[in-house]
Amino acid sequence: MSTSRILRDSVRSLGRHRLRSASIMLGSLIGVAALTFVLSVGQGIRRKMLTTVQQIFGDSSVIVVAGGTQLVGGPRPDAARLTIDDIAAVAEAVPAAMAWDPQQVLISSVKRAGATATVRVLGQSERAEKVWGRTVARGRFFDDSEVKRRERVALIGETVVHDLFAGADPLGAEIMVDSVPFTVVGVLDRFGTDLHGMDRDNELVVPISTLMRRLANVDTISVAKLLIASPAQTESAAAQIREALRTRHSLVPGQADDFTLLTPTEIRQLLGKMQRIVTLYLPLASVVVLLVAGLIAATLMIGAVNARIGEIGVRRAIGASPADIARQFVTESALTMLGGGILGILLGSAAVQLVARRLDLGAVLSLRVALLGLVLALVTGLLAGVVPALRAARLRPVDALR
Amino acid sequence: MIELQNIEKTYTRAGDTPVRALAGVSLRIERGEFLAIVGTSGSGKSTLMNIIGSLDQPTAGRYLFERTDIAGLDVDAQAHFRNRHLGFVFQAFHLLPRASALENVDLPLLYTENEPPAGAGRRALDAVGLSDRLHHKPTELSGGQQQRVAIARALVNEPELILADEPTGNLDPQSTNEILDLFEALNRSGRTVILVTHDQRVAARARRVVRIDAGRVASDEARPVALAGAKEDAR
Repeated sequence: MSTSRILRDSVRSLGRHRLRSASIMLGSLIGVAALTFVLSVGQGIRRKMLTTVQQIFGDSSVIVVAGGTQLVGGPRPDAARLTIDDIAAVAEAVPAAMAWDPQQVLISSVKRAGATATVRVLGQSERAEKVWGRTVARGRFFDDSEVKRRERVALIGETVVHDLFAGADPLGAEIMVDSVPFTVVGVLDRFGTDLHGMDRDNELVVPISTLMRRLANVDTISVAKLLIASPAQTESAAAQIREALRTRHSLVPGQADDFTLLTPTEIRQLLGKMQRIVTLYLPLASVVVLLVAGLIAATLMIGAVNARIGEIGVRRAIGASPADIARQFVTESALTMLGGGILGILLGSAAVQLVARRLDLGAVLSLRVALLGLVLALVTGLLAGVVPALRAARLRPVDALR
Repeated sequence: MIELQNIEKTYTRAGDTPVRALAGVSLRIERGEFLAIVGTSGSGKSTLMNIIGSLDQPTAGRYLFERTDIAGLDVDAQAHFRNRHLGFVFQAFHLLPRASALENVDLPLLYTENEPPAGAGRRALDAVGLSDRLHHKPTELSGGQQQRVAIARALVNEPELILADEPTGNLDPQSTNEILDLFEALNRSGRTVILVTHDQRVAARARRVVRIDAGRVASDEARPVALAGAKEDAR
């Protein structure tokens, strides 16, 4: 019996048992869709993480976050003690620290001619351009004298431009942050979303002195970043920064830090843990789904064999060998799972596109992932077909026809 | 064509006393015969039929088909033998319920050694007078029509021998006649036909009647060639 004839016959047979075929396909569909989704999005998240780490840390730097928690993120409620003077002193004490920039954050409503937007307002020094790599696309960055004089100048993100200006030129325009008027001097380069899904283009950057005095009225900063001369010196520099800060904050041995140091190494370790979840455990769960689908397929195929005993008898009588019968059921099972797998890839990639657009992941369906899904579905189908097929092949024609 | 030498068949089930279905049957069947195997239920006639059809293996004795020892072949060779030389017709039709008439008839062509000739299924259905029912499902056909589809399936590989086990057992008298006419016509066109039946009227259409009783040949008699009721070629 030739392969092409067996395939044709199997396809017909699947068409004759649509409900069963559909049930088997559904399992395969869900498994492969989950696998496709998880692997593709996982790859996207991984790329995103690496990009973001690069965006935040550059080649080598240490970030000091006020407060003693271990989480990555924005301002802390207990961020009461970190000051610009602290960081200035630390930068002085650590020779490898090349440059530094303090940062304080405020969520504020920003108005311009009737349009209002809720925006993240960052207070930074003129060195932010160099230290954070936060450059302007149009206009100019503010300078040190504007920082010293607490000038009301603002750099504005593209999302804010879109929300407030609707096509008009923002440069030189006046906007109200809370009730304080600012002059827009520059438009920031696009950043995209960060790891938390926060739109970093919905931001305003103003001199930190202006933000601390005129907007927030605080004496402390939430974050500071110190550029380190070379990647090799980052860890030793971080240790020196810790000592210097502990001394300035008069922390005694045994007392916990009231700040958190983030180094690229530390972040990559943390991301590694998240990556393992995304790239190992979730796909593993999808494979389990596929295995369960295989078990269901095997059960349904055994049911099919039992329901089609008469058919098996006739096929044997008209010339099918036991091997032909076995091949028929394995082929049916494998084809169904494969069919479900193809649909699963379609569904999975549709979901990937949706999520990728939402999270700005740029995750696209990779051919490798699709192939892997198909191969797994096919193999599961073949395996699921083995037991029912052997059972069918073992039937004696006389018994099957009775 | 067929030579059975002292065929015995004993069924053994664990814990049961062995049942002797055939107790030494010897029979020669020549090419072109129209033979009825009759007997009461439990006489062993169906067992004999299954052995001739190589669906079951004899416990003892020799079965030669064109001088080939069929019982000595392995399962694959037996399957191939059935595919090439035999056509089966069953009491319960045994059509695939969800497949069309044509798909059912084409089924044996799946298992041929070489790619089958195109249109064989249509020709077989045409031969049984169902060329206008190619795409009907069995449920859309009458019992007689279903059995004719089954006969077309038995014919599609051009076998020398047609084996029919109570082919009219599920049919009304009129369909019974039509089906028997069909067998007669097939026989007249050169095919060997073996009918198994418990129905005397059905057996009366055959030219030779072998009576099986208690697993042995009880009688074996030829009948006159011309019989009342035999119609012209059913085609």
